[in-house]
Amino acid sequence: MLVIEDDDRIRTSLELALEDEGYAVRGASSAEEGLALQRQEPADTVLVDLMLPGLDGFDAIRELRRGDDVPIVVVSARSDTHDIVAALEAGADDYLVKPVAVKELSARLRALRRRARAAAAAIPGLVFGDLEVRPLAGEVRLAGQPVSLTRTEFRLLCEFAEHPGLVLSRQQLLERVWEYDFGDERLVDVHVGRLRQKIETEPGNPRYLVTVRGLGYKLQR
Amino acid sequence: MRRPGLRTKVTAGFAAGALIICSAMGILSYDLTRRSLVNTRERAAIRAAYFDASVVQANLTGAPADNAQEVLRSLDTGTTRHAVLYQDGRAYARSVDIGFTRSIPAALRATVAGGQPAVQRVRTETGAAIVIGIPLPDGTQFYIIDSLQELERTLQILGLVLTLVAAGMTAAGAGTGIYATRRVLRPLTSVTAAAREIAAGDLAARLDPAAEPELEQLSTSFNHMVGELASRLERDRRFAADVSHELRSPLQTLAAAVSVLERRREHLDERSRRAVTLISGEVDRFQRLVTDLLELARGDQPADLQPVDIHDLVRQVCRSRSLPSSVFAPAGSAATATDAALYPAAGSGAVAAAAAKSGAGAAAAAKSGTAAAAKSGAGAEPDVAEPDESWLVDRRRIEQVLANLIDNADRHGGGPTAIRLRSTATEHVIEVDDEGPGVPPADREQIFSRFVRGRTAGARRDTDGTGLGLAIVAQHAAAHGGQAEVLDRPGGGARFRVTLPRRP
Repeated sequence: MLVIEDDDRIRTSLELALEDEGYAVRGASSAEEGLALQRQEPADTVLVDLMLPGLDGFDAIRELRRGDDVPIVVVSARSDTHDIVAALEAGADDYLVKPVAVKELSARLRALRRRARAAAAAIPGLVFGDLEVRPLAGEVRLAGQPVSLTRTEFRLLCEFAEHPGLVLSRQQLLERVWEYDFGDERLVDVHVGRLRQKIETEPGNPRYLVTVRGLGYKLQR
Repeated sequence: MRRPGLRTKVTAGFAAGALIICSAMGILSYDLTRRSLVNTRERAAIRAAYFDASVVQANLTGAPADNAQEVLRSLDTGTTRHAVLYQDGRAYARSVDIGFTRSIPAALRATVAGGQPAVQRVRTETGAAIVIGIPLPDGTQFYIIDSLQELERTLQILGLVLTLVAAGMTAAGAGTGIYATRRVLRPLTSVTAAAREIAAGDLAARLDPAAEPELEQLSTSFNHMVGELASRLERDRRFAADVSHELRSPLQTLAAAVSVLERRREHLDERSRRAVTLISGEVDRFQRLVTDLLELARGDQPADLQPVDIHDLVRQVCRSRSLPSSVFAPAGSAATATDAALYPAAGSGAVAAAAAKSGAGAAAAAKSGTAAAAKSGAGAEPDVAEPDESWLVDRRRIEQVLANLIDNADRHGGGPTAIRLRSTATEHVIEVDDEGPGVPPADREQIFSRFVRGRTAGARRDTDGTGLGLAIVAQHAAAHGGQAEVLDRPGGGARFRVTLPRRP
């Protein structure tokens, strides 16, 4: 695991606590250092702060996302909607506001890791018009072309694909995909937005993943 | 008694002014007109009388008794004038209209008899008249009684017209007063409206100094005042936000470091272990305090209204606080059924106790909680909410309202005994009951202020709270345009009620 955090004390304490939870942790005090470390030896999860010297957290997330589906969790002192949405849109899988309890953090990380496996245990394959979802193969194709999704996006799409035509509420999706009992619905909204960017020809006027006002979202054939 | 307002005063002033001016003018012009008309009329009457007298004198031959009537008839007197001749104490008229002779005053007759012509105004049976007496030679007296009825009628009409004009002017004066005050007060109305908006939390409300040039100074200083107020509030808010924000980073370090210690507590000696427990508890509370402070600091943001399945939300909050689901009795079915499930967590004993306390008989108590519920008045308003209960509210805030009310009941009331949802045509109501000591009426307002903690002896764990929970509840309710209050729960304990306006 890679922890990108400029505050030495926070980084050290997180390293100590996460090592207790059984993670092998590497720390980086800047986005540049973190990106370099990730290039040399990719970690399976990245924790990133938003306020960093030089390249900021948003840039770091975008850079990490470039062609990589490594799970990214933001741990930031900023709790404004604007920052949360921006970080998620940049490609983060989850967003936690400081101070976060270690128990909570490790629960989120476990859920994130399960996400990749859970998807593989699902059904063989489903076709929605030009969109083909193959949970077992971990593949999504749009008009025959493979689409690259992050694990969270993939898990989210599988959740929809397993319930074709059924409306799923934001809370249901939070529970099933992020394993939140109780979470921030913006996570769902931004991820649905990201998914649309990848699977819809017209993301502003979705053909597959449609919003059902007041209820949630559904994937239609 | 209420003092009359500016509007009433100005209106009355204008009306009184108009009335005084109009009455004075009216009376003056009436008097002048009357005088001039009467004088003219008198002069004309006298002139005619002299003319008639010369005719009579010329035609009178010998004693009047001979041809007086004839002579008098030859006069052109019309219907309004009556001629009378007196000689030797006898009166002669042109016809038998001798009644007119009676209207000639004795004093006038004496003067005329003395050789002096005289004029006097009198009142006859048919109205006002003027009597002109002219002495003729031979001790004969000639009188003309000229009726002034027509003049009187003219003056009456004039008086009526002048009175009507005065009344009209008074009304017009009052109207002007009303218009003027309204015109003058209109800018003040906009000041009032702006002040009300500001009081309601809209610190962006300002007056337009250009709109009312007369009130430019007032507008400018008003705007300045609001600006100062807004920036002071903003400074306070920022300060709270900045402080909380700055506390987050060290808290993160503490939280992570303490968890490392917690993990090794079995390797610590007894004293260290106790110290770690203390630190860990305080870090926990510190975290909550900072989160709550930030929540309060950014509380002026508008509510993000979304349709929320409120039953689902309550169940989730209950689950996250490990509350038995029986505490929450969803509304939607018949009102009595809902109310019957009012105190399920407390058990049937509590229901019976509540019923007995609220005056219902033992028999009623035996018939489950229906009687108690009906007696408690909780279901006074009919339940009109749809079964799925989708509320248009800010999910995050309502979630926090529920959580804080439950935490509050935990801390000060021995845990929530019932959570109730209710909807009427205009509002949504959330109620959380506990069976604790309740809140004395004197503290009921203050309890929603910041850093006020329960001071009741039964609150064993009251140091656990941040003292901000209920302030956040009140603030979230206000953000929805609603309110939070605490009442007595029938049967003992507190009932916290949050009322939110129902939006279509």
